[in-house]
Amino acid sequence: MRNKDLTFWLFLTPVIIALGAVVVIPLLAGFFYSFTDWNGLTFNNFLGLDHYMRLLDDGRFLSSLWFTIQFSVVTVLLLNVFGLGLALLVTQKLKSSNLLRTIFFMPNLIGGLILGFIWQFIFISVFSDLGDLFGIAGLDGWLTTGTTGFWGLVILTTWQLAGYIMIIYIAYLQSIPEELLEAAKVDGANPFQRFRNVTFPLVAPAFTISMFLTLSTSFKIYDQNLALTDGGPFNSTEMVAMNIVYTAFSSNEMAYGQAKAVIFFIFVAVIAVSQVYYNKKKEVEM
Amino acid sequence: MKKTKWTLMTGAASLGLLAACGGEGSGNSGSGDGDQITLDIFQGKVEFRDQFLEMAAQYEEENPNVQIEFGAVGGGSDYFTSLRSRFSSGDEPDVFSLAGPSELADYQDYAEDVTDLEATDTALAGTLDGITVDDRVYGIPFNQEGYGLIYNKQVFEEAGINPDDILSYEDLEEAVQTLDSQKEELGIEGVFALPGSEAWVMGNHLANVYLAPEFNNDVMEAYESDTVAFERSDEMQRMLDLQNEYSIQPVLNMDYSQQVEQYFSLGDAAMIQQGDWIYPTLQQMDPEFAEENVGVLPIPLEGEEGKVPVGVPNYWVINSNADEEVVEAAKDFFDWMYASEEGIEVVQEQLNFIPAHENFDPDNINSSLSRDIYEYSLEENTIGWIFLGYPTAWGDDFGAHTQEYLAGERDWEDVIEAGRQEWESSR
Repeated sequence: MRNKDLTFWLFLTPVIIALGAVVVIPLLAGFFYSFTDWNGLTFNNFLGLDHYMRLLDDGRFLSSLWFTIQFSVVTVLLLNVFGLGLALLVTQKLKSSNLLRTIFFMPNLIGGLILGFIWQFIFISVFSDLGDLFGIAGLDGWLTTGTTGFWGLVILTTWQLAGYIMIIYIAYLQSIPEELLEAAKVDGANPFQRFRNVTFPLVAPAFTISMFLTLSTSFKIYDQNLALTDGGPFNSTEMVAMNIVYTAFSSNEMAYGQAKAVIFFIFVAVIAVSQVYYNKKKEVEM
Repeated sequence: MKKTKWTLMTGAASLGLLAACGGEGSGNSGSGDGDQITLDIFQGKVEFRDQFLEMAAQYEEENPNVQIEFGAVGGGSDYFTSLRSRFSSGDEPDVFSLAGPSELADYQDYAEDVTDLEATDTALAGTLDGITVDDRVYGIPFNQEGYGLIYNKQVFEEAGINPDDILSYEDLEEAVQTLDSQKEELGIEGVFALPGSEAWVMGNHLANVYLAPEFNNDVMEAYESDTVAFERSDEMQRMLDLQNEYSIQPVLNMDYSQQVEQYFSLGDAAMIQQGDWIYPTLQQMDPEFAEENVGVLPIPLEGEEGKVPVGVPNYWVINSNADEEVVEAAKDFFDWMYASEEGIEVVQEQLNFIPAHENFDPDNINSSLSRDIYEYSLEENTIGWIFLGYPTAWGDDFGAHTQEYLAGERDWEDVIEAGRQEWESSR
């Protein structure tokens, strides 16, 4: 076995140690602590499944979970539509396509916290000024209700991540052989038919990746949530990650927060894995 | 062969690095020469970070063998999060700050008994209550803080209102209506600026005024109580409604910095419910405005008119796990800071706060707001700060319910009922 000699393992050691220290051990420790009354410093008793039973009655957790699910469905949809749309736009033979790529990708380089505060300013001050100027009442009082908070978060996330998803689609769009499209053209397919029957099936692998990325990111969003709405008003825009942090650090219920995190982990893992499995089955080989 | 050796070394080196990262590194391990002591101080009031650093530098000059490292994280829960992670990761600070009895309960095992310190001895009456367990004191009060309705003197004068006449709720309502009727002439956008997105403004500060009488102004009584009756909930509703109705809108997305910087310091709001901690911010915006133009009015409470809530927001706690010499150095430092002549002088020059210790000269307080509130405190016209004795996170949750009320999604009765229930269930 060539790849099992000493050097191989030695080279792997740093990575294995790092991965173990920051991923595997905390994960296992987390599972363990979720069954105890750990307060972050010490624990005295095993509580078994108590925390998990309590979760079922925790209205605030359930509503944050429901909010997160709604948010994820909408953002995954929008992100992929916009990502693919932008990718199609910049792969046209435009003079400015390189510039556009940079511009679309740019928001992704700014940290979520800063973006959150910038958009907070836009939603609160710019929107209301525009609303006053044009007399559109709907632009006033953004982020003061759960609904505007929801759409605020959707807009922010889409704006930030669409450029990133675009890059993935670009890579796949560019790998489509010209001959195929040309052949379709010769056969008399119009641009829409070419997109529908040639381009679309061939970028399907990109869907798998993008769906996975967008789904897992939108589920785990925290910093944008914190900076833009901080869960408010009255916790109506609190997502699961924020609820977990709140439970663990503000309410000081470390172990209970940990139990929520375990459920959250399983939830995200199941969705992500089944989504990848399903999409993989639909991909076409070239 | 040579290659293998090299890999081995790299492997070993990376292991060593990891070990170094994971090691105890609590900052007090000393740096070679034995006499150097590093005091690692970590606290939650980012407002006085700069001044504190300057003060520490002065102390270091006089005590060359002590080096003070100072970390500050702002905002209640953020600080507490970092503190907890520092403790659970083994990177324990030597001195940290705690806010009151419920926080002390979590860190009791780490709190050094400071009953015999000079800095505890000279602490003003009542300031140690929140950090005392079984007659032993576990912390040194930072300072005192007070809050109320901070108003713009010039606007009041132009509107012909004498702030000294405002005592009862009716007086206040009348003044507010006068101000509101002259908004145009006074150049204000609203009488109040109510930061509805800050749950603590309603849940901690406003509610405290109406809950304190119930617990005899005693934070420990609140901490030990299993229930809350909320006898004065109507008064609280009335006050909240008043602030909301005459506030710059929309209140629900207004935060602290908008309230203080954007609206109050620029003269768009005549009055805000805040405390003397906003002084440095006001001073940064306009030193003259901060010094000459702001005053503080009490939040009216029936039967207790003219009283301002004053309390100790934070205590210094020495980590009893730290090395003996570090603990001693920390004690010396706080004795110097609060109980020695030169220390007091430096503290007064640097920090804009209301002292919680004897021997401070009220005239030397830098901030006009702190002077005003100190006056209330000298005359004992104060209401206690019982919100530090709330059940953990109760204030935030209650604040969130008042937000629902402000949004019109919940009745006041319902809000109060939820508050009562949550108090009981978390005790």
